[in-house]
Amino acid sequence: MTVLLAFAVLATLLGGTLFAAALDRALLPLLALFTRQRIETEAPDRMNRDLAPAWYLALAAIGLAVVPFAPGLALIDSPVGIVIWGSCEALIVITVFLHGWSPNAPFPLIGAYRYAAIGLPVMLPSMFVLIAAALPAESLSLIAIVESQREIWNVIRQPLGLPLFIVVALAMTLRGPMDYADAADIATGTSAEDSGAGRALWQIARLAMLVSVSAVAATVFLGGPLGPVLPGPVWLWLKTGALMALIVWLGDRVARTTPSRMLTILWILLLPLSFLGLLIAGVMAL
Amino acid sequence: MAMTRLARWAARSPAPVFAAIGPGRQADTERLLARPGLRRAATPRDAAILLVAGDLPGDAAEALSHLHDQLPHSRVTVRWQGASPDAIAERIEMAWRDICAGELDEDDHLPDKPPNAWKGIGPHGQGGKGMMGGTPYGRSMAMTGKDIRDGLQLDRFTARFGPFLPMLPPGLVLEVTLQGDVICDLDVQRPPFAQPADADAPDLCAARMLRLLGLESAADRVMHGKSANAMWVRGAVPKELGRIDGTSARDRLTSWLAGDAVSVAPPDLPALLRGAEWSEAMLILASLPSSAIIRAAQSVEAA
Repeated sequence: MTVLLAFAVLATLLGGTLFAAALDRALLPLLALFTRQRIETEAPDRMNRDLAPAWYLALAAIGLAVVPFAPGLALIDSPVGIVIWGSCEALIVITVFLHGWSPNAPFPLIGAYRYAAIGLPVMLPSMFVLIAAALPAESLSLIAIVESQREIWNVIRQPLGLPLFIVVALAMTLRGPMDYADAADIATGTSAEDSGAGRALWQIARLAMLVSVSAVAATVFLGGPLGPVLPGPVWLWLKTGALMALIVWLGDRVARTTPSRMLTILWILLLPLSFLGLLIAGVMAL
Repeated sequence: MAMTRLARWAARSPAPVFAAIGPGRQADTERLLARPGLRRAATPRDAAILLVAGDLPGDAAEALSHLHDQLPHSRVTVRWQGASPDAIAERIEMAWRDICAGELDEDDHLPDKPPNAWKGIGPHGQGGKGMMGGTPYGRSMAMTGKDIRDGLQLDRFTARFGPFLPMLPPGLVLEVTLQGDVICDLDVQRPPFAQPADADAPDLCAARMLRLLGLESAADRVMHGKSANAMWVRGAVPKELGRIDGTSARDRLTSWLAGDAVSVAPPDLPALLRGAEWSEAMLILASLPSSAIIRAAQSVEAA
């Protein structure tokens, strides 16, 4: 069963990444990058340059491994699945920072520091909405959170949760209104010096993370594999695919404000809002 | 040479172009790069074709050579003089197919060595004090200095930006001292290249701001005469940002999106941008019609 689940995780990651590239209309440009030379900047941190996309991909895979593909069935069947996902989120900030740090150039470094500044106030609402979703389940296990949604999905029970988590997803995947690491005003920031296969790998890792974060959102807020007639994994794939399309659409359509203004919005508006959501969930659970 | 399957797929993707825009060619080039068969690269590292539009003045030749050498192999320069946009788009697409087939490439224009000889003190050529500051081998290093907001000692980094940076008007060279991404000091080293009035067209001006707001496809839609069809466009621009003559950056974007031209008296660029964060400064510059920046930079140079 473990082998089968490992296969399901890898197949979902691969198929999902292809779907994400198709949504972004990035399939052919990504392939084209593999034909291009990989340029080395002056005195780069080679180890971290090579490790950053690998970390990002690994975090996407680990995040997906805690997601149940059928009720009661996840590759990593952990009583603290939410915490494992939370640690993946926190490590993404470090991964993106290392990606910006490693080329030894100004624009990537500005992108790296910006992302570190944005990352913390994004993590906090994320933890609050995930803990709020864990309250009705009385467990930090994603399997238990799925079980707790048999009667009513969390997206209805906790209406603040999914919208806030989508903001987190946009930040985790460096996309549209939350893409502060690779923004246009700093010539794609942490990626500004990437060319060839290195650039392609970073973009692929971003797309893989979109699969992971959407699958976690589908599990925590849309009942994951729960649904009539179709088998569990199919429901999970359908919900994940729908959320991926929504996140790509929002990333394409919502404007990005300046980093300092976004910091204010995160600390003053979204963080208290997520805390309010947690408070309401707590009172309801009593 | 027979093309591999990967190369054939690559050749079917949009041609990645980085443009070095010369005098009088800003509007033409921006419209050209919004065509579906071409892809505007945000950094030379992501491009295969260097499009040189118009006649560049002699003082930009070295910057152009540096830019050329930043493109990964295989690469090719396409010069655009009098040809029609259709003809030049076709030439670019043909060049991209040839690059993918491995039939085109260009060598470096400049030798791959430091811009200056060793200067400064210390066993590692670090220049300044201790392990900080100075310009070893012609590369400026960060050195601590007073933060302009609270006076704390923070790293200051001085570098020259332009003349072909895609978020700056073509030709503009700025020497900027940054603390983090806050602009502490700014000096106009070279004014932008002269552009005719068509560079101030409302759709082009709106598109420049939309791209900075992360709305690439909305920018293309506006340039093709459609509505931006995006959310929080005006709200994303901070309310009082870049206020000149009673209009703010947000007001100017609103006018451009409605299809109205905007005229602004040339502002004092260093005073306007000093103290702003990098992203705010880029938005302020994009919120000014090209003609206003050109006149503003020329008045700085004359002074």
